[in-house]
Amino acid sequence: MGVTSTAPLLQVNHLKKYFKTPRGTLHAVDDVTFTLEAGRTLGVVGESGCGKSTMGRAILRLLEPTGGEVRFAGEDVSKLSPAQMRAMRTKMQMIFQDPFSSLDPRKSVGQTIAEPIRLHRLIRGKQERQARVLELMETVGLSERLVNAYPHELDGGRRQRIGIARALAVNPKFIVCDEPVSALDVSIQAQILNLMKDLQEKIGLTYLFITHDLSVVNHFSDDIMVMYLGRLVEKAPSEDLFSHPTHPYTKALLSAIPIPKLHRETKRILLKGEITSPIDPPNACRFANRCPHATDQCRQQEPPLRERAPGHFVACFNQ
Amino acid sequence: MSDQKRHGSLALDIQGLVVEFHTLDGVVHAVNGLDLSIEQGTTLGLVGETGAGKTTTALSVLRLLAQPAGRIRAGSIRLDGEDLLAKSEQEMGKIRGKQVSMIFQDPMTSLNPVMTVERQIAEVIAHHTRLPERQAVEQARQMLETVGIPGERGSEYPHQFSGGMKQRVVIAMALACSPQLLIADEPTTALDVTIQAQVLEMMKQLRQTYQMSMLMITHDLGIVAETCDRVAVIYAGRIVEYGTLEDIFEHTLHPYTRGLFDSLPNLEDRTARLKPIPGLMPDPANLPEGCAFCTRCAYATDQCAQHRPERFYRTQEHYAECHRCRQICFEKGGSAVWE
Repeated sequence: MGVTSTAPLLQVNHLKKYFKTPRGTLHAVDDVTFTLEAGRTLGVVGESGCGKSTMGRAILRLLEPTGGEVRFAGEDVSKLSPAQMRAMRTKMQMIFQDPFSSLDPRKSVGQTIAEPIRLHRLIRGKQERQARVLELMETVGLSERLVNAYPHELDGGRRQRIGIARALAVNPKFIVCDEPVSALDVSIQAQILNLMKDLQEKIGLTYLFITHDLSVVNHFSDDIMVMYLGRLVEKAPSEDLFSHPTHPYTKALLSAIPIPKLHRETKRILLKGEITSPIDPPNACRFANRCPHATDQCRQQEPPLRERAPGHFVACFNQ
Repeated sequence: MSDQKRHGSLALDIQGLVVEFHTLDGVVHAVNGLDLSIEQGTTLGLVGETGAGKTTTALSVLRLLAQPAGRIRAGSIRLDGEDLLAKSEQEMGKIRGKQVSMIFQDPMTSLNPVMTVERQIAEVIAHHTRLPERQAVEQARQMLETVGIPGERGSEYPHQFSGGMKQRVVIAMALACSPQLLIADEPTTALDVTIQAQVLEMMKQLRQTYQMSMLMITHDLGIVAETCDRVAVIYAGRIVEYGTLEDIFEHTLHPYTRGLFDSLPNLEDRTARLKPIPGLMPDPANLPEGCAFCTRCAYATDQCAQHRPERFYRTQEHYAECHRCRQICFEKGGSAVWE
């Protein structure tokens, strides 16, 4: 995990993704900047609509960013031609949330995993390709006899293993994992999380791990960034974020996790107030409406992201 | 009759429930001899994974199983002492919403998109009270206020509300006729964590105000710890462990329950490796002869594969269906109350 390199593997600078809607421009991802070093996992948390999935897709250019740049190993991904981008996709892959809708129901397990190998012309020979498929299936813990099975015959956990094998098929360095375990039961969720961790250690993968589940992200990530309505509001090493949450939104979020333990003194922060609309948002802190500490300054200016402690970034005037 | 008396103190009493679904692929044994009871005014958590039979159990109580595939083969369901399985469809219509209500998992699909929310709530009130529509709507608005939605928003349609607000509307509808028993089927699973906290807090307060009993169906042990008095762990259509919150969390008996706890990431020790339960739940169309958990259990013996386990009682109330329980508990140093 502690692979150190001079330049970060991923640099995201002022990334923006806006959508035109009949009622105005929706700022789904608004000026997000961060870096991610090789071999590490960055968790992205936030509630539905905060822009975390849109950001993951904009980084991979599955959605065309509105502004900003994404540098992968020093190269500006947003400037690549379609042909160059295609080559780039062997280095950057994605695992999707829903193992039911992210697999083609008419392709067998073997065909699904072989497809990226075939498309990128990584292995030409049919037999060699089949051998590689079986090798990948073994890596993700799928039994060889399932090679001709179809997704509908398999449970959610096995389907998610297919999704992982498909992502690994092109030997990527970096994988965006968009809620990879939220559709799974806890016992299966733990199997998949352990598998992903083992793979990271074995092949030195770098993960951007998007989730709404805070206990999962804490377990899985080295660093965590918290998003609120398209903005990055706090980023810190996982332990730091959980022991010293600084942004009022992070504090409320962490206090809301139901803990499976008895006799705990929980001081829950219940948020009130309406959520600010992400459509043409005012030049103000987007959390101000629900924030117990908001001042006039918060309603007139957007707080910049500042480093409060080494590696701990917060966008708040009052903290 | 002493038997009558015993039932009288229970809000819900299910004994030996067997539910099957007849499908083209064969008979699916969804619930296989399930016992469950809820004391008046308490909340029972029903915990288990997808396909364990949680929702089927709830739908059996309301007699809303998918027809004609779903059949209650055996058992009894008593609501406040009354035998629900003996009721006619017409009688059930008077019971649903009035004596027992259900909140479904997904607020997006449990509301009618082309009807204002106040009329949806008023529909329930009118059905059970025969109040004229105007008064029913007036009461519906009061219900909305109770769940923290301004009454005048009652004239809006579901799509104009956020997910958390929609679930509040669903709760208002469920509580409109003050039922004695509320069945909540994963009521907050579709909601964000800060909204979930608000809704759970509200449900806790309403339960006290209305003196309701509640069946809380969930897969989240964190929610159980916060909202329930007693816990039943369901696996392959049977209750495999039952006890008070303390029994289940601090004197865990069944290896499956243990496995559920071990699968969860630990917030205090973030680097601890997760210990998943190996394998999968058995196919309910093809259940093993003995203990349904034996294929995934680290402690299983030949006996487990061949014979269905008896209950092992740790206290008068706390039990687990497991052949190996006594031994396992000694192994992990559980020198608690053993008789």
